[in-house]
Amino acid sequence: MRRALDTLYRAALWASALCLVAIALLVGLQLAGRLLDGALALLHLPRTDFVILSLNEICGYLLAAASFLALAGTLKAGAHIRVTMVLAALSERARYLVELWAFGFAAACAAYMTGHLANFAWVSFFFHEVSAGVIRVPLVYPQAAMAVGSLILTAALVDEFFIVLSRGRPTFRAAEDAITLGKEG
Amino acid sequence: MSVVGLSLVLMLLLFLILGSGVWIAIALAVCGFAAVLTKVATPAGQVLATSMWTASNSWDLTALPMFIWMGEILYRTKLSDDMFEGLAPWLQKLPGRLLHVNVIGCAIFAAVSGSSAATCATIGRIALPELLKRGYDERMAIGTLAGSGTLGLLIPPSIIMIVYATATDQSIARLFIAGVIPGIVLAGLFMGFIVVWALFNKARMPPPEPPVPLRERVYASRRLIPVTLLILGVIGSIYGGLASATEAAVVGVFLALGLSWWSGTLTKQGFVDSLMGATRTSCMIAFILAGAAYLTAAMGFTGIPSALAEWMSGFNMPPWALLTVLTAFYIVLGCFLDGISMVVLTTSIIIPLVTKAGFDLIWFGIYIVLVVEMAQITPPVGFNLYVLQGMTGRNIFTIGAYALPLFFLMCVAVFLVAAFPGLALWLPSTMLDAR
Repeated sequence: MRRALDTLYRAALWASALCLVAIALLVGLQLAGRLLDGALALLHLPRTDFVILSLNEICGYLLAAASFLALAGTLKAGAHIRVTMVLAALSERARYLVELWAFGFAAACAAYMTGHLANFAWVSFFFHEVSAGVIRVPLVYPQAAMAVGSLILTAALVDEFFIVLSRGRPTFRAAEDAITLGKEG
Repeated sequence: MSVVGLSLVLMLLLFLILGSGVWIAIALAVCGFAAVLTKVATPAGQVLATSMWTASNSWDLTALPMFIWMGEILYRTKLSDDMFEGLAPWLQKLPGRLLHVNVIGCAIFAAVSGSSAATCATIGRIALPELLKRGYDERMAIGTLAGSGTLGLLIPPSIIMIVYATATDQSIARLFIAGVIPGIVLAGLFMGFIVVWALFNKARMPPPEPPVPLRERVYASRRLIPVTLLILGVIGSIYGGLASATEAAVVGVFLALGLSWWSGTLTKQGFVDSLMGATRTSCMIAFILAGAAYLTAAMGFTGIPSALAEWMSGFNMPPWALLTVLTAFYIVLGCFLDGISMVVLTTSIIIPLVTKAGFDLIWFGIYIVLVVEMAQITPPVGFNLYVLQGMTGRNIFTIGAYALPLFFLMCVAVFLVAAFPGLALWLPSTMLDAR
């Protein structure tokens, strides 16, 4: 169970990272095409007119998928920010109770979010909704990715809830207490 | 319930949930949920899904992970050594000498990085030990580093600016370019402070080092070439209208990878670490933006922002008075909240007020960035303080006290930008039309 869950979080995080790499490669390819055309125009040669159709929309969808798929991995790394000022001031016993509340409440919220994102994706699927650009991407793909990411986050929060319950502290306490660089603006 | 009562209840709810250790993104969304519930006819769940979807799938926002990744790659290179070695020989004559490396180094690194804490950490990693080894005043070395690191937010690229621009539907490219002159002015203020301090505190400065001949100085400067090319490639292409912010960010990623490969610091592990770090940081910010988008949509249903705008305009305050009130409010808020939360709370609640008062939204973006910079160095919550606490082992309140003069200089910068809006607005007006 432990291994399976950790693998799930890691796989989702990797999928998210690959979405970002895909964005970089697609945009890079388009830029290279534009540079090549510029060079060709200077030499009075015919342009290649290389265009990746609907690039902007596709990158937006990849980003939405990336942002939600990484949610659980980010939580497990202690990189989602929260106000720890009060927590740090509490006694270990009180902190334990507040942590339980935070994880339980967050898990309930994440479950609610998952339900509505899933419903949203289902509606897009049912009505065959597609993007407005030249290439008609079915909207259900990125939206389903968001719902899946949200579901994995819910699992991670429930998972952490039980870890706090049995061990008294979340797995990422050390990471959260340490300074995480570039965490914020 | 009246609008005032409702806003008070929501505010209380937000602080309660935030204080109890619930993640910021979720706390914002819960407030949005509570606000929607007051309007019986509105389907809360549908609004949640739609607003999160709209906020998350955005071409402009794609610039965010790319700039973060670029910074993560550069953090793992030898760029900070290069910058110290290249800058130090030139600064021996200026009063304050190597203390200026903090300011100029941060200003230069800020032009390739979008984060204040990362700028502070990257420059500090090399500059701080070198300065302390040479016997510079600790107070000044740490204080100026904390303050100068915040230039990372003002000098483009800037993560905070991307957050603000996507949340208010402004052009990221224009906002970036608007930050250039205020950034240089602020760096100038910091350097002026160091010069004045050094002239009055000669006794606390270490003895000067032997002068470096001009030829050697020029030769040392070659180490600044890669970073200069990087800046020209990224900011130049935005300013020249050659690339949108996202495209420039992707160019930055490839250039940073190239630089890392060329300087021999690119390893497989480093590459994976930088990618994973960027994935997590951008996920954290995108999630906050999604939660804030829900809050913004919900706020629209409650009518709180427009009521607030009406209420404030009832006082007939002149713009300067309004700005003074806002600044005081932000300074207090900045002691307890991080920059991103400050910006998203602002955009969901007080933007109608700002537009009604007649402020330009690009100009207001620069103003917000300046007050968020102050928040980075005001204890107990300030990310530059955390970074320096990690490096020096000092208490954050001590570091905050070291950085206090720079905090006042930032107040001066806010005043200057308010008195001369052209500082922010002139350069974008000369831009070639950016896509």
